[in-house]
Amino acid sequence: MKIRHLILSIAACGALIVPAFGQLTQAQIQKPSPDSWPTYHGDYYGRHYSPLTQINQTNVKHLSLAWVARMSANTLGAIVGGEGPEPKAGAPAGGVSVKSIPLMVNGVLYFSTPDHAWAVDARTGKEIWHYFWKTQGGLHIGNRGMGMYGNWLYFETPDDYIISLDAKTGRERWHKKIADVKAEYFSTMAPLVIGNHVIVGMGGDFLDVPGWLESRDPETGEIQWKWFTTPRPGEPGAETWPDAFSMEHGGGMPWQPPTYDPELNLLYVPTGNANPVFIGDSRKGDNLYTSSIVALNPDTGKMKWYFQGSPHDTHDWDATEVPILFDGVIPGETKTRKLLAQAHRNGMFFLLDRETGKNLLSTQFSDVANWSLGFKPNGQPIPNPMKEPQRAGALVSPGSNGATNWPAPSFSPDSGLFYMHSSRNYAMFYRTDTPGEAIAAYGGSSEHRVDGFGGSLQAIDYKTGKTKWIHDYPGGAGGAGGLLSTAGKLLFAGDGAQNIVAHDPATGKILWHAGLTAGVSNAPETFMLDGHQYLLVGAGDSLYAFYLQ
Amino acid sequence: MPQLSKPHLLMAAACVFGAVVPASAQKGTYDPAAVPRGKEVFGPACGFCHGLTARGGDGGPDLARSLFVMGDDHGKQLGEIIKNGRPNNGMPAFPDITPAQVSDMASFLHERVEAARNRESATPPNIIVGDAKAGLAYFNGAGKCSACHSATGDLQGIAAKYEPVALQDRFLSPRAGGRGGRGGGQNRTAKTVKVTPATGPAVTGTLMSVSDFAVTMRDSEGNRRTFTRDGDVPKVEITDPLQAHYDLLRRITDADIHNLTAYLVTLK
Repeated sequence: MKIRHLILSIAACGALIVPAFGQLTQAQIQKPSPDSWPTYHGDYYGRHYSPLTQINQTNVKHLSLAWVARMSANTLGAIVGGEGPEPKAGAPAGGVSVKSIPLMVNGVLYFSTPDHAWAVDARTGKEIWHYFWKTQGGLHIGNRGMGMYGNWLYFETPDDYIISLDAKTGRERWHKKIADVKAEYFSTMAPLVIGNHVIVGMGGDFLDVPGWLESRDPETGEIQWKWFTTPRPGEPGAETWPDAFSMEHGGGMPWQPPTYDPELNLLYVPTGNANPVFIGDSRKGDNLYTSSIVALNPDTGKMKWYFQGSPHDTHDWDATEVPILFDGVIPGETKTRKLLAQAHRNGMFFLLDRETGKNLLSTQFSDVANWSLGFKPNGQPIPNPMKEPQRAGALVSPGSNGATNWPAPSFSPDSGLFYMHSSRNYAMFYRTDTPGEAIAAYGGSSEHRVDGFGGSLQAIDYKTGKTKWIHDYPGGAGGAGGLLSTAGKLLFAGDGAQNIVAHDPATGKILWHAGLTAGVSNAPETFMLDGHQYLLVGAGDSLYAFYLQ
Repeated sequence: MPQLSKPHLLMAAACVFGAVVPASAQKGTYDPAAVPRGKEVFGPACGFCHGLTARGGDGGPDLARSLFVMGDDHGKQLGEIIKNGRPNNGMPAFPDITPAQVSDMASFLHERVEAARNRESATPPNIIVGDAKAGLAYFNGAGKCSACHSATGDLQGIAAKYEPVALQDRFLSPRAGGRGGRGGGQNRTAKTVKVTPATGPAVTGTLMSVSDFAVTMRDSEGNRRTFTRDGDVPKVEITDPLQAHYDLLRRITDADIHNLTAYLVTLK
């Protein structure tokens, strides 16, 4: 009891102890100062909104380039770690695509790509250190970035390790295995630091393996708790699976960094699709808690509530879109509620009370989604069984790429609008199995993409769930990357033609743009440095910093 | 899957995500030559419960989805399970199976895992379930297909050229292939664009690219021309000869699709 007491008081004092040797305190993460971007989402709420106003509607036309930093995967001079084999001498270095949203702390940017991490001077774009991880394999599809605690950084690798680096030097402190790469897990999530917890998730659904979220000790890397995204026999939710085997192989990978409400001390975790992916015969039922938003206590990993946006998913619609947290008054009420909004990959918009998980509003934001028969009283869509994969093919919108996807949406408290990149797309879903065949993973089905109508920048009024405005990108192109809105009455987005564009958040009107060498691959962010407001955006292998000269 | 579905990984590797370590690079966890030997041992010893193909049987789980098999390293972990059984789960011990046999069986089981995860490109065996007569009615009626196509013109013999699935995919997703419409021809499916500047004559050509900020065309003389755009100036009008196919997506039903395919496959 005494030891437990001591641990608790150390945890409670963490905010006081850390600054003595570190750079980033819990208080700074919880209430980010304008000269920082301390987490993947910039804050705990996932709003991708900044109160900065130096760059605004009247002067955005004069935004100009401060610097470009082009990152190379060449490992010459890099600090090397990892359990995998030495890369062959002279082997070509892989390409770099920055999907990570860099942390900015005390004038230094920290970001990662699969197997690589960098610290870059935010004033000049010059590299400070480069860390390289020798991989054992795994899908190198992307890396969403880093988490920071004091002077320590954390990031995940395609071969399923979490690595902690010293932010000053880039030297490795430790690495720990999260999951087994042989079971086709791969890890892309940016770890989220909450007090003395580092929240870690993983991905991978090429085999029917279980998914979970875990919390690790920021000092030692040891596991504090694990929460499996599907129940085990006898647990609540088990009744939504036919048997133990199906729930233990049911997938539900949590690979998007969660959001967090410090007042309620609740973590909002969006979970991935159920497995096997397209053919659900062996997992009849709703398949909790796949394709859901789940509220967990970050100290214990215990679930408080859930809301499942895609019951019994058979279209690979992960619910891993950002659950954005904000407060507001909904029509017919006078009291301010703590809200959570999500635009789901399946084309539906959900507004929840984030204290209780109660659904307040469900609407269809995609005007071409065709798979649902309406909503249940609890706000869940009712899937049309005829839109599951069929032998002769079922034309479904959206296809597995979704009506929207993981790139960050944005919520502006000024406009009350929820912004996202959306897409009108279709696919033919065929059943290809022979009767009686045992289905695994992606087996038994084939998805054939169909031309669609391209992508859009879409603004939704959270009070009604209705589209306020929509800007269709011309020529069938899609929007690129995530979004940022600011109190300067600006909405930044990447278009499908390699431009970073500033829009009027009230109408979508275009106010400024700059052509880059690749499409926006992360989400724009902003911070103050030496009296200048910077706009930072990643496009392919480069970071671009803009400011007003 | 999360970020992107598997059939599109190659495309992703090529054009979006940069370096990708192919999932197969980390495989090689089994010896292909040992697979048939392993199957011979597996059948009589394990097939009764797990099925001869290891995909599950009377009481035994599907081993192509077994976390034990996935986590196994060349029979090391499987050997322990085979030797000792899993008494709490009803699996007996098989102490007489030799290490060499364990190794062969491990290869067979790892091959099963591979086979299970590589099925997604399979083609449906038969998709012709619709009514050809209703398909013909749709072709000439609500589908408005006959506005551009005819069974005795551009579509003559179309069913001899394409498998039914390809045919069906093609009318839903024409830009993926095909020459389009009556008369066919090289550039029948290209989008055309007309640009009208604030002053001066309009220019038309084949659309090469368009964004909110620029439009590029190849004009009738083969010159590449780019115009910057600022809102509605210059006026840009794009014509897509395949527009009718895209419009169709919003209203066609699965029954219409299946009927239309049933009709088109008769055009041999």
